Amino acid sequence: MKKILALILALALAVTAFACAAPAAAPAATEAPVEAAATEAPAEPVVEEGFNPASEVTLNFPCIWVGTDSKAAVFGEMVTAFNTEYAGRAKVVIEEQTDYQAYRDKIRTMLSAGQAPDLFSVDGTFKLADLAGSGKLMDFTPYLTDSDWSALYNDGALADATVDGKIIAIPFESAVFGIYYNTELLANAGYTEFPKTYDELFTMADALKAQGVIAFPLMTGENAWSSMLWYSQILLAIGGPDVYKNGLDDPAFVQAAEVLKKMFDYTSSDAVGAGAAVVNGHFLNFEAAVYTNGPWFLPRFAKEGINDLGTKVKFALPPEYVGGKGTYGGLAGTVQAYLCAGVQTDADKAAAVVEFYKFINQPEWLYKLAESSGAMFAVKLESNTNDIQVKQDLLAAANSAPYIVKHFNDSMPTAIGNALPAALDELVLGTVDAQGFVDLLKAAGQ
Amino acid sequence: MKPTKKDRLGMALFMTPALVLFVLFFLIPVCYVLIVSLFQWNGMSAASFVGVKNYFTIWKDPVFRRSVLNNVIWALVAACVQVPLSVLMALILNRKPRGWKFFRTVYFFPQVISGIALAMLWSAMYNSEYGLINGFLHLIGKGELAINWLGTLNTALPALLIYWVFYIGYYMVIVMSDLSGVDRDFYEAAEIDGASKIQQAWFISLPMVKSSILTCMTLAAVMGLRQFEQVYLLTNGGPANRTSTMVLYLYKQIQNTRYGPANAASVMLICVGVIVILGIRALFQIERKRRK
Repeated sequence: MKKILALILALALAVTAFACAAPAAAPAATEAPVEAAATEAPAEPVVEEGFNPASEVTLNFPCIWVGTDSKAAVFGEMVTAFNTEYAGRAKVVIEEQTDYQAYRDKIRTMLSAGQAPDLFSVDGTFKLADLAGSGKLMDFTPYLTDSDWSALYNDGALADATVDGKIIAIPFESAVFGIYYNTELLANAGYTEFPKTYDELFTMADALKAQGVIAFPLMTGENAWSSMLWYSQILLAIGGPDVYKNGLDDPAFVQAAEVLKKMFDYTSSDAVGAGAAVVNGHFLNFEAAVYTNGPWFLPRFAKEGINDLGTKVKFALPPEYVGGKGTYGGLAGTVQAYLCAGVQTDADKAAAVVEFYKFINQPEWLYKLAESSGAMFAVKLESNTNDIQVKQDLLAAANSAPYIVKHFNDSMPTAIGNALPAALDELVLGTVDAQGFVDLLKAAGQ
Repeated sequence: MKPTKKDRLGMALFMTPALVLFVLFFLIPVCYVLIVSLFQWNGMSAASFVGVKNYFTIWKDPVFRRSVLNNVIWALVAACVQVPLSVLMALILNRKPRGWKFFRTVYFFPQVISGIALAMLWSAMYNSEYGLINGFLHLIGKGELAINWLGTLNTALPALLIYWVFYIGYYMVIVMSDLSGVDRDFYEAAEIDGASKIQQAWFISLPMVKSSILTCMTLAAVMGLRQFEQVYLLTNGGPANRTSTMVLYLYKQIQNTRYGPANAASVMLICVGVIVILGIRALFQIERKRRK
């Protein structure tokens, strides 16, 4: 008996020692299917003309644009201005969230528990279809259809936020990804202009390598961000704007992987396993010549680069692939953040949500936010001469781009995007070829 | 003396609060993990029952199988290398050589430093461009040996293990505290009988602290099986998932919003943990019976 008791206790102890990883909320086995959840959601309240609630409405906003975030200062001003203008009618209470992953986990957990925050934002790691499946998101369609508000947005922005005919999110921050190069390092290698084709790019990379310069700072650690952006650009150059329509079966994915692998011949020795800090460090420290990232990074060239880097960086369009389906000038882009809201049963609260989102999407505020953070927005904005030159060049390129297509991670299911770093390791370390790389991605998506 | 009814009631009353907390915060979550592992669920939409499919799915995944293997390697290295090293240091320092207090502090010091800080430190040490190890190799004219230690298939896991295996202070202190309770008379008697220092350590010290060593081995194996922070921070499972562990695997499944496979991996981790712990206990039982 004693032995049995001892065994039971030992087992219980072992079990508790290893108990972990439980998500915060349970899916009830008897939970209604998605369709039912959607139909059970309360009918959207109709907002009256003008906003005069019976009493002050409080909206809770778990917000990531706080603390040291590049948008924190101006975004804070925007919220304060809203609270001042709507004093006695509406008040937005910011709940500070400084860690992106923790923020994502929080939103996901709250949605799964049926407690969507009044206001929140989601980034590209969320798939809007999944969010819609929760049945907990406010439908903005009635407020945006044929309204002045919808006229503010770039073409296609609202369509991207539409799932099953409902606009379930307001596109907020967007981005296009240009190529940036160090003019001094290129000049030392005998180049005054950035190459226009990938063949020319690799010839230039040879010249840079001969000078002991890292041509392309790349990474396979974290989410393999810079490598993923290059892969997206190469995919567009080879497969054209429709490259994602046939999924990973399009031969462009294999061809692009071959080009990407070749780029690793011209990168730093720490690229395998490197994170964004390593890549950024190489470019900011004058060790690497060609760089790609979103517009939010552009102010850092001047702020953090050595040897007066800010004045030596120029914008370039991604190269063309000879024989590819892409058009020179086509760019990869993304919607960096969508604004969402929990389903509201109270008409006043729904109206307050709409008022707040309209308020923070006013172009005058967005100009200020863009200047302070380098960010771009889904709302159409005129070119701003206060912006740094590379940002102005990027905006001009975006405005004249024949197409802007979402980058690889945005265009693929989450699991495939998350499998990219490991598949890239295999490709770069030579354990698989380009076809094997694509096969690994396919396997991750199954 | 058998406990009376009153004694039993008293014991039950004292045990109840801990039992309630244990059930609320351990047993119920474990049951929950077990239930969720039988569902397909993305964390937002409704879950659908899939039975044991998630278990087959993860077992077919070579990354999961490699993670299990890596965890077993971690546990074995912890139990068979880290703990013996700790015991050796404890035996040496227990003889109180000159400066033993200094060395005890030095060996224990890493335990009070954040694991994140240590991981960052070692990440910098291993870096191929500006790391200390490659810098030293270049300094002594062996630059051709300089590699990306954490980014090469053959060196990534050993590099992680080497960094971790030398943090022996925690187990060393446990064994030292047990050694300090060993009666000095045993050693004096052994010395009179002509036993050498090594014989004294082997035939007196080690048998007397066997329970501490078992505790250390169990703790070390558990820590090995739960490896996450170091791997996540230093390699994130790379290169090419070669250093992935089970906890990291399930974390990545959660990131992929695949809660069913994530929880199936949790259940498998529990099973592997139970097997390893029972294995260690069984080894000591066999040894005890053999001595009898």
